[in-house]
Amino acid sequence: MSTLHAPSHTAAGTSLLERLHGWAITVDHKRLGIMYVVAALLFFVVGGLEAAAMRLQLIKPMNDFLTPQGFNQMFTMHGTTMVFLVGMPMLAGFGNFLVPLMIGARDMAFPRLNAFGFWLFLLGGLLLYFSWIGGDGLYGAGGAPDVGWFAYSPLTSKTFSRGNSTDYWILGIMVSGFGSLSAAINFVTTILCMRCPGMTLMRMPLMVWMMLVVGFLVLVALPVLTAAQVMLLLDRSLGAHFFDPQQAGSALLWQHLFWFFGHPEVYILILPGFGFVSEIVPVFSRKVIFGYTLMVAATVGIGFISLGVWAHHMFVVGLPPWLNALFAASTFLISVPTGIKIFNWIATMWGGRIRFDTPMLYCTGFLGMFVIGGLTGIMLAAVPFTTQLSDSYFVVGHFHYVLFGGLVFAILGAVTYWFPKATGRMMDEGLGRWSFWLILLGFNLVFLPMHFSGMLGMPRRIYTYQPDRGWEMWNLVTTAGVPVQMLGVAVFVWNMIRSSLKGPVAGDDPWDAWTLEWATSSPPPEHNFDRIPTCTSARPLWDRKHPDDPDCHYE
Amino acid sequence: MSDPRDEPASVPYLRGVPEPTSGPLWAGFGVTLMFAALVTHALVAMVGFVCAVAGFVAWARACFPEERLESLPTGADQPLPPPALQPKGRESRVMLPAAMHPYRAGLRGGLAGGVSMAVVAVGWGLLKHGSVWLPINLLSGVFVPSVGQASLETLSTFQPGLFALACGIHLVACLFVGLLYTVTLPMMPRRPLIMGGVLGPVLWTGLLYASIGIVNPALERFISWPWFFGSQVAFGLTCGRTVSRARRIDTMTGLPLDERMGVERGGVR
Repeated sequence: MSTLHAPSHTAAGTSLLERLHGWAITVDHKRLGIMYVVAALLFFVVGGLEAAAMRLQLIKPMNDFLTPQGFNQMFTMHGTTMVFLVGMPMLAGFGNFLVPLMIGARDMAFPRLNAFGFWLFLLGGLLLYFSWIGGDGLYGAGGAPDVGWFAYSPLTSKTFSRGNSTDYWILGIMVSGFGSLSAAINFVTTILCMRCPGMTLMRMPLMVWMMLVVGFLVLVALPVLTAAQVMLLLDRSLGAHFFDPQQAGSALLWQHLFWFFGHPEVYILILPGFGFVSEIVPVFSRKVIFGYTLMVAATVGIGFISLGVWAHHMFVVGLPPWLNALFAASTFLISVPTGIKIFNWIATMWGGRIRFDTPMLYCTGFLGMFVIGGLTGIMLAAVPFTTQLSDSYFVVGHFHYVLFGGLVFAILGAVTYWFPKATGRMMDEGLGRWSFWLILLGFNLVFLPMHFSGMLGMPRRIYTYQPDRGWEMWNLVTTAGVPVQMLGVAVFVWNMIRSSLKGPVAGDDPWDAWTLEWATSSPPPEHNFDRIPTCTSARPLWDRKHPDDPDCHYE
Repeated sequence: MSDPRDEPASVPYLRGVPEPTSGPLWAGFGVTLMFAALVTHALVAMVGFVCAVAGFVAWARACFPEERLESLPTGADQPLPPPALQPKGRESRVMLPAAMHPYRAGLRGGLAGGVSMAVVAVGWGLLKHGSVWLPINLLSGVFVPSVGQASLETLSTFQPGLFALACGIHLVACLFVGLLYTVTLPMMPRRPLIMGGVLGPVLWTGLLYASIGIVNPALERFISWPWFFGSQVAFGLTCGRTVSRARRIDTMTGLPLDERMGVERGGVR
């Protein structure tokens, strides 16, 4: 049952205060999606500045730009911010904005829970950053957390981590995590229960499939982290000994619990990126996605296998050889469905009439960079290789190729692709190209040399180094790439701001695309569609545009 | 294909969309403050509790006893009918690749190429070192580290275990590469021999040139790169020719799985 009221005009008020109030109380999935993305972009800038500070410190040997403790805080906050306050909310934002539109629904299944999740994410992030002010606690022993983004025990015990900074890390991430859980519940329910007439599971856009699998992964993996954080909080606050080896606890238990969340988290982050690419590449190749069924199967396969690879992060902690071999094998195994996706994207481009507009440029960049990151990942799946290079800059280079070269490139492509739908205006193509090439150049300058400094033995997380190790040149090049990358990001952000104010009007379907979000106006009305669409194939808009040759004849 | 018009229009929010409410904002703020109180002050928890209760009450009032919705324009509760689609006529699309080489051609090509490569490799052993067994024993060094320490005299004699192992490696590798040729040769349909006989061997030789010290140190000690490249070309030309001459088969891409599998099914299509 429901009660119908005339639309309130708070959201569409004219004064700034009215408009801000409208955004604050909104439960509209599109507005929440935009708020997620904007908040994540702000945290992205903050996390980027933290990385820049670290790179400045490492530009030359024996530098003193940062103190050792300041450096520890920087890499902890950088990692935590980028994973929990940039990657996850960015994807929740895109999912929020796109999923109901793509499946022809009017909103998410639980709109108020959706808003609650957003506020928990934002306030959890602010609580984490409040640690710079409140983290001293009673000890005066440090501001922000300094235990690394995976917060290994026993470093997190009261003995080694005085003050409240680690508690802020626990609480901020936990609150933010509740937000992610509510978003996941919403995604799963919405996708399974609210598809428009005719949209079977195998007609859903691949982006929606990715969000469905991500929703399940979050529901399985994130509670484990939350439970571990509660245990850690009990250790720190109430004298429990879950992770204290001297009191029959186990420091390894934290690693198992953390990485049981941590590795699926990598796929939670990258799968929506795969979804973006799977939507953009066919449109700009003017071809149907190659192997839709296999792409779906690969996504589900990745979801399952990703829950069984966590201990490859622990190859050097002394697990039994058979266990190392088992996790090495499962890690190799996950490269199969991932490889299928790569081949299918290339096969989609193969023979297509490719248009290298900015979104496609980012997707092509994604393909190249992600393949490099994937290949170094396969190298690291070999136990002897990891034994040599664990905790070195090689690992840092590897995961940045996956998460920056992969995920961030996909996100930037997605922002450019769906910007016209969200704002009704096109982003500037020239500025888009400038930002792409600057970011691509800067990215490779920063992260490629890390593989070499890592192979030369440079450990990650050291705040300085001696001048005679042969690492100087690689660190200099790495740091030199930072301003290039920052300039690229600045051009991108400027392009967004400028285009949202002065960009040419986009129209409903500027890319001549095929999924349902392009069947409504740009930006869409609050109720998304004047009339709920009906779906006739996996490319419903194609069928509507080409009734003489619809896809449904070929399904 | 099911007709979407046959499906019931049980779409949520068909007649209205959720009304905005400040409940979630206050509830989120309150919950966060209650967690923050653990590292600040009890007073923060009290303020948080009040905010959270106020938020959850506002939230509940938006849902109970009836969900508060904003009404939509007239006609919005009627799903849009599907477009009038024309019946399937003459085949107007080509699913690429429309045809491909059969996998058995790849297996045959791999076996034929393996024989050619073996002839060249054994020829090298015979002409340069006077033994047909040297290249065979060296190949087994991929899996047997002790081969790396063996003398040239030992490696030039027949070793049954190493022979069996080398045959296994050679057979499996050739079959796999043959299958690989099956799927890659259509990428250069007009010049399969350039793809298979030149490009493939150049790439493979380059890759091994960079990594052979790790993969097979024993082979690195004795290898002659011109001969090695020659053996790869022999494989590529033979395998590529065998595969490219095989009759292509329809991939049936785009057809339902049961039709592709040749399974009959009843019922109305």
